[in-house]
Amino acid sequence: MIQQQRYDLRCVMVQTFIEAVENKTNLAIVVSDSTSTSKIEPFQERFPERLINVGIAEQNLVGIAAGLALGGFVAVTANAACFLTTRAAEQVKNDICYSDTNVKLVGLNAGVCYGPLASTHHAIDDISMMLGLGNIVILAPSDPLDAKQIFEYALRRKGPVYIRMDNDKFPIIHKEEYRFQPGKADILQEGSDLSIFTMGSTAYEAYFAAQALQNDSINAEVINIASVRPLDRDSIAASIAKTGRVITVEEHSLHGGLGSLVSEVIAKCGLKAKLITRGIPEGCFSKAGPRNQIRAYYKIDKDGIIETAKQLLAAD
Amino acid sequence: MNPFNLSADKIAEKAKEIRKKIIQTNVHAGQGHTGSDLSETDILACLFFRILNIDTEHMDDPNRDRFILSKGHGVCGLYCTLAEAGFIPEEKLDTYLQFDSDLPGHPVRQKCSFVELNTGALGHGLSVGAGLALSAKMNHRSFRVFVLTGDGELQEGSNWEAAMCAAHFHLDNLVMIVDRNKLQLADGTETIMALEPLADKFRAFGFDVHLTNGNSPAAIIQTIEGLNMDNQKPKAVIAQTTKGKGVSFIENQPAWHHRIPNREETIRAIEELQ
Repeated sequence: MIQQQRYDLRCVMVQTFIEAVENKTNLAIVVSDSTSTSKIEPFQERFPERLINVGIAEQNLVGIAAGLALGGFVAVTANAACFLTTRAAEQVKNDICYSDTNVKLVGLNAGVCYGPLASTHHAIDDISMMLGLGNIVILAPSDPLDAKQIFEYALRRKGPVYIRMDNDKFPIIHKEEYRFQPGKADILQEGSDLSIFTMGSTAYEAYFAAQALQNDSINAEVINIASVRPLDRDSIAASIAKTGRVITVEEHSLHGGLGSLVSEVIAKCGLKAKLITRGIPEGCFSKAGPRNQIRAYYKIDKDGIIETAKQLLAAD
Repeated sequence: MNPFNLSADKIAEKAKEIRKKIIQTNVHAGQGHTGSDLSETDILACLFFRILNIDTEHMDDPNRDRFILSKGHGVCGLYCTLAEAGFIPEEKLDTYLQFDSDLPGHPVRQKCSFVELNTGALGHGLSVGAGLALSAKMNHRSFRVFVLTGDGELQEGSNWEAAMCAAHFHLDNLVMIVDRNKLQLADGTETIMALEPLADKFRAFGFDVHLTNGNSPAAIIQTIEGLNMDNQKPKAVIAQTTKGKGVSFIENQPAWHHRIPNREETIRAIEELQ
């Protein structure tokens, strides 16, 4: 299952778009000068008439996509998550979610992908912003296998979808027979000592950390939340009831992201659990610098997760 | 084809009836945007009784025209026009603004099939209208897109992103109608944040611009039916209107943006509209 090779999920996305048009999906992609950000060139070469570049104008990007959807297209926007989710927030709310238009919003380079470019370019609030809105499915792919299925599902589903994307290259962490299901937690590894919940871009860090922890006879359960909404609260609760020890890992603010969602499950289900949430602390902007150093700083990389797991177990 | 195709004179009569409904509906609801509703009445009457090829029978026709009320606060004017056209039951107007009504204070497309977009936040209609117009070009559809904006609304920067885009993509099937009554919530548009020279601004953005008397059905029809829909340019029809048109004491009074007539004022208003 584990391969050394790593894949750019944007290339998987673009390939899925090409196949969708080949299979008669009436697709239109809208970008805001973000042709290179989205790696859309192969699609553009095949179907130039289906790619619309509105220039650096995110409000219009989302409005145009809503109009294309009302005109019968499956419309996709593809631009940097930081500009989509905050600059065009009201368009996302009203023109997409509230008006229930058939638009798929792809938030590219989310989290701290833009490392040294600092907080104007970081999107550590995209999930919390989307969770605050009604009528939108929220998905976060973690490897080429689930990315492909997530995009296929999003194009098939009639209605608004937000997909949190990354610009890194990702190893395959799923078995070939893995099938993405909206509203279903993705159990990457079963274990009984602690539960590690992760979301999309940090899934491989958690998965590799869990494998390393086995050397110390620590059996971690790793659950990837690719489907943030709908959320599989039952599987989250079942895992926590089993292990009683919980770590959440996300490249996102601890306010309104995965840590908040899991904490809510613990409280609502009356579960007894020790919990450590890892991410960008509530009320703070993210640090800037090389991305691996940012991940290390917030302990959301493999080593940070291993250290956190040991800390949690030592607290017994 | 418009199911009514009325003459300007007949439309003027319809507009009077719509205005009476606007007064009565706002009074019944106890809230509303009376001045804005009355300002746009003649434009809406021309659209639904003459210009748009929209009727209840053909809502699924991919080639039917599209209409977006970007100034969503003028929704009572739209509801009353739809009721006058028989597109929604007249008695439904009594539910305007009530709990979970099909007729809330801004348009909701899930509740009314004649609503294209859930507006109310300003500066959204032109972008979505441009997207619809672009979809028609891409799918080789013949429909036209009409977007009715307020004038104060044009202070929102998103309109100018949309305007740039509509001209860039040569969306000659897009008609923006500006309800130019020169008043916004707090005061006159030129006092708050000047829009003039408005026609020049749209011309500079690449629009085919026309000025018309927005309270004269004859002028509105002449302008819109005279538009060249094949000239590679989006259209801006600046419809010069009077906010509160038709009721003397409401006309041009900023306070009537969202005031409701009391009992005596209601009687006077209906009398003036006879």
